[in-house]
Amino acid sequence: MAGWRGSRSRLGGGGDTGGMAMTEHVSSSRTVRLGRVQPQAPGHRTVFCNDREANALAKFKGNSVSTTKYDVLTFLPKGLFEQFRRVANLYFLMISILSCTPVSPVSPITNVLPLSLVLLVSLIKEAWEDWKRFQNDMAINNTPVDVLLDQKWISVPWKKLQVGDIIRVKQDGYFPADLLFLASPNPDGVCYTETANLDGETNLKIRKALEKTWDYVTPERVSEFKGEVQCEQPNNSLYTFTGNLIIQNQTLPLSPNQILLRGCSLRNTEFIVGAVIFTGHETKVMMNAMKIPSKRSTLEKKLDKLILTLFCVLFCMCLLGAVGSGIFINRKYYYLEFSKNSDAQSNPDNRFAVAALTMFTLITLYSPIIPISLYVSVEMIKFIQSTQFINNDLHMYHFESNTPALARTSNLNEELGQVEYIFSDKTGTLTRNLMEFFKCSIGGEIYGTGISEIEIGTAQRNGMKVEVQKSSDVTHEKGFNFDDARLMRGAWRNEPNPDLCKEFFRCLAICHTVLPEGEDSPEKIRYQAASPDEAALVTAAKNFGFFFFKRTPTTIYVRESHVERMGKVEDVPYEILNVLEFNSTRKRQSVVCRYSNGRLVLYCKGADTVIYERLADRDNELKRTSREHLEEFGAAGLRTLCLAYRDLSSEVYESWNEKYIQAKSSLRDREKKLDEVAELIEKELVLIGCTAIEDKLQEGVPTCIETLSKAGIKIWVLTGDKMETAINIAYACKLINNSMKQFIISSETDAVREVEDRGDQVELARFMKENVKNELKRCYEEALQYLRTGSETKLALVIDGKCLMYALDPSLRVMLLNLSLNCNAVVCCRVSPLQKAQVTSLVKKGAKRITLSIGDGANDVSMIQAAHVGVGISGQEGMQAVMASDFAIAQFRFLTDLLLVHGRWSYLRICKVVTYFFYKNLMFTLTQFWFTFHTGFSGQRFYDDWFQSLYNVIFTALPVIVLGIFEKDVSASLSKKYPELYKEGIRNTFFKWRVIAIWAFFAIYQSLVFYHFVTASSITGMNKAGKMFGLWDVSTMAFTCVVVTVNLRLLMMSNTITRWHHVTVGGSILAWFIFVFIYSGIVLPKDQENIYFVIYVLMSTIYFYLTLLLVPIAALFCDFIYQGAQRWFFPYDYQIVQEIHRHEPDASKVGLLEIGNQLTPDEARRYAIMQLPGEKSKHTGFAFDSPGYESFFASQAGVFVPQKAWDVARRASMKSRPKTSRKN
Amino acid sequence: MYQFTQQSLPACKPVLTPTSVISTLFLMGIFCIPIGLLSLHASLSVVEIVERYDSECVPHQFRLNKVAYIKDSLIPKNCSRYLKVPKYMKAPIYIYYQLDNYYQNHRRYVKSRSDKQLRYGLQYNDTRSCIPEESNDGLPIVPCGLISWSLFNDTHSFFRGTDELRINRKNIAWKSDRDHKFGKHVFPFNFQNGTLIGGAMLDPNVPLSDQEDLIVWMRTAALPSFRKLYGKIEEDLEANDVISIYLLNNYNTYSFGGRKKLVLSTASWLGGRNNFLGMAYIAIGSCLIVLALVFILLHVKNPRPYGDAMYVSWNWKGIPN
Repeated sequence: MAGWRGSRSRLGGGGDTGGMAMTEHVSSSRTVRLGRVQPQAPGHRTVFCNDREANALAKFKGNSVSTTKYDVLTFLPKGLFEQFRRVANLYFLMISILSCTPVSPVSPITNVLPLSLVLLVSLIKEAWEDWKRFQNDMAINNTPVDVLLDQKWISVPWKKLQVGDIIRVKQDGYFPADLLFLASPNPDGVCYTETANLDGETNLKIRKALEKTWDYVTPERVSEFKGEVQCEQPNNSLYTFTGNLIIQNQTLPLSPNQILLRGCSLRNTEFIVGAVIFTGHETKVMMNAMKIPSKRSTLEKKLDKLILTLFCVLFCMCLLGAVGSGIFINRKYYYLEFSKNSDAQSNPDNRFAVAALTMFTLITLYSPIIPISLYVSVEMIKFIQSTQFINNDLHMYHFESNTPALARTSNLNEELGQVEYIFSDKTGTLTRNLMEFFKCSIGGEIYGTGISEIEIGTAQRNGMKVEVQKSSDVTHEKGFNFDDARLMRGAWRNEPNPDLCKEFFRCLAICHTVLPEGEDSPEKIRYQAASPDEAALVTAAKNFGFFFFKRTPTTIYVRESHVERMGKVEDVPYEILNVLEFNSTRKRQSVVCRYSNGRLVLYCKGADTVIYERLADRDNELKRTSREHLEEFGAAGLRTLCLAYRDLSSEVYESWNEKYIQAKSSLRDREKKLDEVAELIEKELVLIGCTAIEDKLQEGVPTCIETLSKAGIKIWVLTGDKMETAINIAYACKLINNSMKQFIISSETDAVREVEDRGDQVELARFMKENVKNELKRCYEEALQYLRTGSETKLALVIDGKCLMYALDPSLRVMLLNLSLNCNAVVCCRVSPLQKAQVTSLVKKGAKRITLSIGDGANDVSMIQAAHVGVGISGQEGMQAVMASDFAIAQFRFLTDLLLVHGRWSYLRICKVVTYFFYKNLMFTLTQFWFTFHTGFSGQRFYDDWFQSLYNVIFTALPVIVLGIFEKDVSASLSKKYPELYKEGIRNTFFKWRVIAIWAFFAIYQSLVFYHFVTASSITGMNKAGKMFGLWDVSTMAFTCVVVTVNLRLLMMSNTITRWHHVTVGGSILAWFIFVFIYSGIVLPKDQENIYFVIYVLMSTIYFYLTLLLVPIAALFCDFIYQGAQRWFFPYDYQIVQEIHRHEPDASKVGLLEIGNQLTPDEARRYAIMQLPGEKSKHTGFAFDSPGYESFFASQAGVFVPQKAWDVARRASMKSRPKTSRKN
Repeated sequence: MYQFTQQSLPACKPVLTPTSVISTLFLMGIFCIPIGLLSLHASLSVVEIVERYDSECVPHQFRLNKVAYIKDSLIPKNCSRYLKVPKYMKAPIYIYYQLDNYYQNHRRYVKSRSDKQLRYGLQYNDTRSCIPEESNDGLPIVPCGLISWSLFNDTHSFFRGTDELRINRKNIAWKSDRDHKFGKHVFPFNFQNGTLIGGAMLDPNVPLSDQEDLIVWMRTAALPSFRKLYGKIEEDLEANDVISIYLLNNYNTYSFGGRKKLVLSTASWLGGRNNFLGMAYIAIGSCLIVLALVFILLHVKNPRPYGDAMYVSWNWKGIPN
C-alpha cells in the first residue's frame, strides 16, 4: 500500500497516475496480431524494482508460460469443435444422425460406431500432443534462475519470477523474462548477448547498462537498489523500448540498449544483474510468437475436391433414387400397404414427401461412398511414415551432431514428393557460417593447397570419389584451413617475393577492426570480430607469424616472428593514425599506421573492383596474374579480398589528415564527407595480393543441389547477406555458373545513390519504383528472347531486398513472377524475414506451385511458415526455425533423401491409398445402387448392416495400410540415382483426374459384374434339392466376391509385395469368412436374423464355389489387361527404371557402407584441379561482411542502431575519458 | 525392426512383362472354358417347363377387370391348365411358382417381420417392426408383418391322365429355417382376421415350424422376379405326357400387373436350369484367350525393348517415334 501511495505522489506531475496505469494495465486487451506492431495500450506500466509488495497491487502476469491448446475443462468441447471443423467429420455426423432416424435403412451402429472410434482416436492424439506441449512448458517454467531474496541469490524456477524481481543470469544462460540490464562485472557495464533466437543473427550484440546502475553487482549492494521503472505496456516490437528509470529521485531515460529480451542468451560475460520488467506471455518474444499455421498438403486439398465430387455423385444417385421412389409409390402394390395412415415415406398421396424422405434414406444407404476410414487410414499411414521411416532413416542421421531427421508433423509427407521450388536460407543452411582462410595469392603466386567443397563437388560429379584427408601436422583451427609449407613457420622468407609477403601479413595483422580477448598467447586468444571474415584474416596472420595480440585506441601490437631472421620473435607496436571504415559503398577498409621507425603506410583491403581502380599504374603483370587468381578463387566459390598498401610521405599525410579531421567533426553528412576524404588518400596503391576465404559450405551441398535440380526442383536462395556474398554462394553451390545469363536488379547503383543523397523519401520511392519497373521489363523481354530462340542458355535472377520491396508491389508482382519462373536460379539478397515470406507466398499463391522453405534461424521462421513445407535445420543452437518447421533435418544435403526418397514414396503411397479407397468404396456403393433399381427405389440395403460397417473397418482395412507403408516403386538408391523420377510427383502424375476417372471406370465395371453376375446366376434352384436363395443369400454371395476381389486388386496394384501383404490380404479374406461363420452361426438378440445360417446354406451349394471363382476373374481381368497394356505401351518412368534394374538386389543397404575411396588424397586433388572449369570465369568472388553493422533489419526499420563494436571497444579501452553522448 | 524402419524388408517385386501378361491370360482362359462347358452342360441337361397362368385363368367376362374378379370372393377361382412334357423328366421334379414384378425386396416389406416372434410366439410382444400388420383388434397377430400377411395362396394339383400325381410338400424349405427360425411351439394366432385379408390362411393348429409354405415365402427374394418352391413330384414324367393342372387362382397379382407362372423343373448337380454361369465362364475364357492373341500380335508388331533407358521421359527427346 505504501508503495502505491508513494508512486502516486512521485508521479503526481506526470499527468498519469500510477493507479490509472494499473487499472489500464489490467483492462488493456491483449490482442496480439502477428508481424505487425499493434497499437500500444494507452498508459504505461510502473515497476518497482526489488519490491514484491508494491508490485503485487498491479497484478502483473506471472512468468509461467503456457503454449497448450486445451485445459482439462475446455478439452472436450474445444477438441470436439476442432474435430467437427473438418467437413468430412461433419458429414459423418450428419450421416450418423440420419441413421438414427426411421428413414435409415441401416442400423445406427453402422455409422455411429466408426465415427465415435475416429473421434476417440483423434481426441486421444490431440490430448497426447497437448500433453507433450504441457511438459515442454513445464520444463521451461521450471528452469532455475537466481533471484535476489534477503540479500542472497536464491535459485528459483522461472515460473516463480515476478515483475520487479532482481535476478542474476550467468554466462551462456537464457534470459527468463524481459529484463532491465543493471550491471555486469565487465568494465563499462556492457554485456554481450546472442539474439539468434529472435532474429537469427549469430553475431553478438552489445548491451550497456546505465552508468548509475553499474555497481549493483554483489547481492549486498543490489539489495539496496530501489528503482522504479516506468515503461511502455507490453508489445511485440523487438527493436523498440521506451521508458524511464527513476532512481534516487533522478529520472533516467531507458532505451532498447538496456533491455535484455527473453529468448536471448548471455555470452562472453560472466553474469549480469537485471530487473524483470515483462514476464511470461507479456515478453516481447512471446508476443511475437505466432500460432503455427496448420498446413494441409496439396494432395489433401485435392482429396477434398475428390470427396466433393463423390458427394455430388452421391447426391445425383440419391436424387435419381428419390425421384424413382416418388414415381414408384402406388397403392396398387397392396401387399406393401401404402396408405395415408402409414408414415410419410409410405404415403402415396404425397409423392414429394416420399421422394424427399427417400433421399435421406438413400444418402444413409450410400454413405460409404465417402469412407470415414479413409481419413483414419491415411493419418495412420502418414504417422507411421513420419515416426518410423523419416525419423529413423539412417541416411538422414547426422552422426557428428547425433541428430536424426524429425518429422514434426505428419500431415505433409506426400507434399514432400511434389515440391517444385525450394527457398533456402544461406547462412547455416547452405553454409556453416564458418569462414576459413583457405588460399591466398601474394605477388602473383598462389599459396594454399586445399580443395574447396565446390571443387570436390565438381570432381565427384565427374565420377571421382574425393576424400580430403588433412595431413596431421597442419595447424587447423577455427578460421584457418590453410596448408602450404612455403609460407608457414617463416618459410616465406625463401619465396621469390619475401617483402611482399611481409606486407601481406602486416596488412592482415593491422588493417582490421578486431578486438583480442583473453590471454595474449596464440593458443588462448580469442578474436572478437564483427564479421567472421575478419577474424579469419587475423587468425591467418597469427598463423603466419604475425600475431596481433593487443589493441589500444591508438596502437596495435603485433608479435612478429622470423622477420629479421629466422626464429626471432619481437613485439612490434604500430600506431594507428586513422581507420577508414568499411561500408557497402566503399567496399574497402583502410588503416593508416605509423611504424616505430616512422614509416607511414596505408593498408587497404577490399573488393577487387575498387582496389584495382585505385592501383598505381605499374606492375601490370602482377595485376594480370592476380586477376586470374581472383577469378580462379571466385570460380572455386571462395570469398576474395584484395590487399594493397601505399607508402605515405609525412607531408601528404599531414595535409590529408587535416581534411580528415575536418570531415570527421562536421555535423552534416559526416559519413559522406568522410567517404570523400578517404578517396583522396586511397589511391596509387600497390597491389600485394589477395586472400581467399572459404565460406564453408555444409557438407554435400553442391551435389545435393545438383541432384535436386535434376529432379526438376528449382532452388532459390533468399538471404539477408549482401549481394556479393549471395552470388558467391550461388556460385559455390553451382546454382549459378558463368554460362548462365544473369539478370541483376540492384539498388546499389549510382543513379539510386544520387537520389538517395537528395534525401527526399517520396522522390526516392518513385524513382526506385520506376527503376525497378524498367529493369524488370528489360530483363523479362530479354528472358523471353532467350526462350523464344530456344537456346540452351539458362537464366538466373539476382535481386536485392530494396528492389524486391518495389517489385513485390501488386502492379509489378506479375512481371516479377513471370521473370523469376523462367529463371533456373534466383538469388534474393538483403531480404528481410518478411520479404522471404512474401517471395515464398508469391510463388505459392501466384504460381500455384508447391514450395519448400529451408532455414536454420529465427529470421527464416516466417518463410518456413509461409511455404507449403517448412524444413528447419536442427542440431544447432537456435531452435526457432525447427520449432516452426514441419520437418527438421541436420544437414541441407539430407533434402535429397527427404524429398527424393521419402517424399516420393509418401506421395506415391498416399496416391495409391487414396485412389484405392476411392475405387473400393465407389464400387461397393454402386452395387447397392444397382440393387436400388430392383427394389422399387425403396432404399432397401443389399448387404447386412454389419457387413457394410465392417467392410471398411476389418475386411479391407489392413492391406491398404500395408500398401501405404511398404509400397515402393523403385528402391531408395534408385530414387536417388534417377532424380528425374521425382518429376512424376511434380506433375502429379498419380493423382490426376484422368487416373481417378480410370479407377472410377473400373469401379463401375466391377460393380456391374458383382451385382449382375451374382443375381443373374441365382434365379433358379440352387442345389440338387431345388431349394431357392433369398435376398440375404444372394447379397452374402456378392459380398464375399467383393471382399475377395478388392483384396486381390490390392495385390495387383502393389509394386512391392512383402510378407505383410500376404498376411494382411490373406488375413482380411480369412477374417471375412471367420466373421461370417460366427455371425451366421449364432442367434443374435436382434429383431431380424436375416443372415442366420446363410453362409452354411451358401457353402452347401456348388454354385457358391463356381461364382466365387468366376466373379473375381471377370472383375479383375479388365484391370489386368489395362495394367499390362499401360506398362507396355504408355510406361511411366518408374516402370522403365524398374525394368532396367529388375534383376538387381536392393542396393539401399549397400549405400550406407559405400564409403570406400580408392584415390590417394594427392590423386584426388590433382583430379579435382583437373576438373576445374577450363575457361577463366568473370566472377572473382569478392565478398565481405561489413563490420560494425549491428542489425541490418533494425536499421532498415528506422530503429536506433546501438554503438558499433569498434566504438565500444575503443571506449572500453579509454576508461578515463568521460562518457560522450552517443552518436546516432 | 531395422529392416522395417529402413524400409528394406524383403519383398518380391512383380514386374509385368509381356510374357507374364500373355501367359497369365492364356492360362486363365484355358482354366475358365472347361468349367464353363461343364456348367453349361449341367444346366442344359435340366428339363424345365414354364407355364404362365395368371391371365389365362381369368374368365372371359372378367378379362377387362381382373381386379374385380380376384377380389370377389364369390366367384370360384378354379382353373385348369394342360402341359405337355417335352422330354423325359426324372424324379424328383420340382414345382415352383414364379412371381414377376413382385417386390419382395421392398424396404417396407423386408423389414415387416419379427423373427423373435416367429421363434418365440406370443411371449415376444415387441412387434413394432411388423407395422403395419402387427395387431388386429388390439390383439397381436402371429405371425405378424406384411410378409406373412401377403402369403401366396394359389394351390395346385397335378394329374397325369386321371391319376393324381402325388406332390410332396414337405422339406421344401431350408432346414436351418425350419429348425431355428420358426418355433415348434408357435401357432398362428389372430392371423388374417382383419378387415383386409391379404393372402393365405394358416392352420392355427400347426406350429410355424411345420408351415413350410410360410417358411419358403418368408425367405424374401432378392429380385422382383422370383421363384418359390411349391413341392416335388416324386414320379418320373415321360416325354409327351400331358399333365393337367387344377389350380385355385386366389392370389391377387392383377392389381399391380404381376405375372404368375408355374414351373416344373428337374435339377442337376448345379441346381435348376440357368445357363448364365456356364455362358459367363465361356465368354470370359474366350475373351482372355482372344486378348492374349491380341497382345501377342501387338507385341510382334510394335515391340518395346524391355527396360530400355532411352524410353524414360527425360531421355525421350532424341528418339523418333
